[in-house]
Amino acid sequence: MFNVKFADIGEGIHEGVLLKLFVDIGQTVEEGENLFTLETDKVNAEIPSPVSGTVKSVQYAVGDRVNVGDTIVVIDDGQPGVRSNMAMNESEMESTDTNVDKSETGGEKTPKSTEPRFDTGDSVVETVEEAKGASVVGEIEVSSQLIPASEEGAAHAAETGVKRKVLATPVARSLAKDLGVDIQRVKGTGPNGRVMKADIRAFADAQQRAAAEVPLSQSAVNTPVANTSKPLPSSDVPVKRVQMSMLRKTVAENMVQSRFTIPHTTMMDEVDVHELVALKREVAELATEEGVKLTYLAFFIKAIVLGLKAFPFMNASVDMANSEVLLKQAYHIGIAVDTPDGLMVPVIKNADQLSIFEIAREIERLSQGARARTLQIAELKDSTFSITNYGSVGSSFGVPIIRYPEAGIMGVGSIQKKPVVIEDEIVIREILPLSLSFDHRIIDGADAGRFVNEVKRLLSNPKKLILM
Amino acid sequence: MKTYDIVVIGGGPGGYVAAIKAAQMNASVALIEADRIGGVCLNDGCIPTKTLLRSAKLYQDMLRAASFGISLENGNAIRVDWQQLMARKTSVVNKIVGGVEQLLKFNKVDVYKGYATIADERTVKVGAETLQHKHLIIATGSSPQYPAIEGLQSALNDGIVIDSTRAINLEQHPKRMIILGGGVIAVEFATLFNSLGTEVTLLQRSEQILKNQDEDVKVLIQRHLSESGVAIKTGVAITRIDGHRVYYKDAQGDHETTGDYILASLGRSPNTKGLEVLQLKMSKQGIAVDEHMKTNVPNVYAVGDVCGGMMLAHVASAQGIVAVENIMGKDSTINYRQIPSCIYSFPEVGAIGYTEDEARAAGFDVGTSSFPLSANGKAVAEGETVGFVKIIHDKQYGEVIGVHIVASHATDMIAEAAATMALEGTVYDLAKTVHPHPTLSEIVMEAAHGAVDKPIHLIKR
Repeated sequence: MFNVKFADIGEGIHEGVLLKLFVDIGQTVEEGENLFTLETDKVNAEIPSPVSGTVKSVQYAVGDRVNVGDTIVVIDDGQPGVRSNMAMNESEMESTDTNVDKSETGGEKTPKSTEPRFDTGDSVVETVEEAKGASVVGEIEVSSQLIPASEEGAAHAAETGVKRKVLATPVARSLAKDLGVDIQRVKGTGPNGRVMKADIRAFADAQQRAAAEVPLSQSAVNTPVANTSKPLPSSDVPVKRVQMSMLRKTVAENMVQSRFTIPHTTMMDEVDVHELVALKREVAELATEEGVKLTYLAFFIKAIVLGLKAFPFMNASVDMANSEVLLKQAYHIGIAVDTPDGLMVPVIKNADQLSIFEIAREIERLSQGARARTLQIAELKDSTFSITNYGSVGSSFGVPIIRYPEAGIMGVGSIQKKPVVIEDEIVIREILPLSLSFDHRIIDGADAGRFVNEVKRLLSNPKKLILM
Repeated sequence: MKTYDIVVIGGGPGGYVAAIKAAQMNASVALIEADRIGGVCLNDGCIPTKTLLRSAKLYQDMLRAASFGISLENGNAIRVDWQQLMARKTSVVNKIVGGVEQLLKFNKVDVYKGYATIADERTVKVGAETLQHKHLIIATGSSPQYPAIEGLQSALNDGIVIDSTRAINLEQHPKRMIILGGGVIAVEFATLFNSLGTEVTLLQRSEQILKNQDEDVKVLIQRHLSESGVAIKTGVAITRIDGHRVYYKDAQGDHETTGDYILASLGRSPNTKGLEVLQLKMSKQGIAVDEHMKTNVPNVYAVGDVCGGMMLAHVASAQGIVAVENIMGKDSTINYRQIPSCIYSFPEVGAIGYTEDEARAAGFDVGTSSFPLSANGKAVAEGETVGFVKIIHDKQYGEVIGVHIVASHATDMIAEAAATMALEGTVYDLAKTVHPHPTLSEIVMEAAHGAVDKPIHLIKR
């Protein structure tokens, strides 16, 4: 039997809506055949069958809200035991999960919470943390040691989002509850990985240190800094409360995390893009012929990639835990896209291998996809440097927040005609404002300046963009 | 010259367990033993004393058999057959030692008989053999130590002052026995000889016997021993020994007492002879080791009594496994707060973790709960109602941090507490665990109920 679950697909997605079902009970499915489509705040994901077999049951109806960890389709694959797409070795645990799922199909899974009261004689101490996981049966294996935020580390944590019932001692559970530690995230050091009280203490300490020192770490990624903020002070001002969407919450958490982890420094400059404006006008017709919607952003990306090649520390991540800098060996440029639901940052992969036209095509495809929410998770991941174009709404300068754990982000403002002095003459030129935020832990101001100068040099001599 | 992954010196419960574990983990292993496999535990300690205590218990039971409805046809003709007692002991020991030898053979451990001498950091000599090793585990054990008391040495030479090894090999049933010391071994031998009809006087320097036990345990065992006929003199200073006579003084003045034998149970010191070349760092108690049983010399480990500390067979075995696991690349340690200890008195004592006083001193928010054996059905049925269980817990979460049991089978009952503590269990867990009825183990559940709220089978006003 195989339980096809809503697996943790990362990117802070915890819930979704079952949009489409491609299979019925009794139907035979092949491995790789699409089973259902999930609509989430960021993407619509088509979930293929991990195994071949017969559909035994479908646990939700189209339109139902589902959480990460929920079993959506059960497939009889002819194998003994119960397996699922969320863990390699949870067969033992799965059998109970299935029962629970059946008994409360699609129902609201509320955490069972029993207060361990010592003095009342109530002798029941219930597990609390993973009890909410009739559906969310899982943990991300995170050591109480902070995991370095290498690319591999991050990918590991996201992809092996192995969900299982946590083996923990009674004292560890109580302590976790008191210290506000999510026991799912604690790696146990006891027999068979049992979480002991010392593990909870170590984890809590690590969390505290992480909060105090804000190291670049995977743990910090998961630290819900935004959620732990204190309640607002009371006020007499009338308010209307608006629920934050999942996407909004994700954006909020990412921003807080980046802002409190990376010592941002921002450098601003202006570029004379007179020739770039001329070039774009010149090639506009060619672009139309090729069916490309050419924007300045494509040129900016090209210039930034060339700049990153010259200054590899801008295309990097800091791993404080190991005192290392990870120089990224690929140039994946995140582009901030304004969507009706909020900010999304699709990624132009291997931008260094693309021509300006190709970049322009990617920009068009990704921004449309972001707005229509048809992007795949992979298209939102793994950027190595980002660019935000607030010029599209007419702004000039900004202090962009770096997309954690990158080392920099370039903010581009709107090109405006300005009087400038050239050879002691006041002339009118097209001026592009640039604002570069960078991680001052690994990049000093002078180097950031040199990087900006390189980008400027390229943008003011745009033919180089084509030739270089 | 043969080379081994691991050479173990000493075939006691530390050494032979280490050797078997190492073999099971596919290391090539040699075990060197100067005497018989099994060490003090199998040959002169744990096993023979328990065998003799069984006879002593049987004798005591038979003395009161009439009250259980069992009478001997010819009246009171019960007597201790000392030779048979010793013969049975020897046969039990041989059987167990033979079993361990088979285990070593089965696991392909090369056993060398002889006294090991360290030649250098990589070489051990035993007889004509020279063994090279990559890792060395020292498990040479301990020997009785004797403080400087006037006349002790000559009485020792005369065979009047004896150690525990001699005490279990006496040819004759002694009439009078003086025991010096008030530790676990002293109490066990006091129990043994007293139960077999020997008149026993126990001389203890401090005010109480069994200093490391919980206060309630100490008080009960001391009182019960006294009531059973052991003359316990505490707060005494032994001034001199003259043949069979021991002179001592206490607050009341000078005293003397005599015995066929004077059993000196005054502690043990580590056996480090032959290891000098290694220049091992020593602690106050023995060879200094870290939590992985590593000494200051690379690739040299030490386990068991030779390290001092808790001189218990099961600690030695656990340390042997830890040493081997670390050698084989697995990070492993022991939590010494969770080592059960046993006293084979009548009734027995099984204890683990903090005593109440220790727990308070350590700063816990201490809760305690006791339950008496006299309120336990099985204990009453068996006529063994002396004893209790006492659970020490940390009030914050109810975690069990100490359990002290006095009961006829306390040593078999303490493992429940050990398992609970290893899993960081709480009094809630113990109370919720359904215990079988009728058993002595129910007192643990009842005491846990008492910690949480109230025990069922006890009137608590």
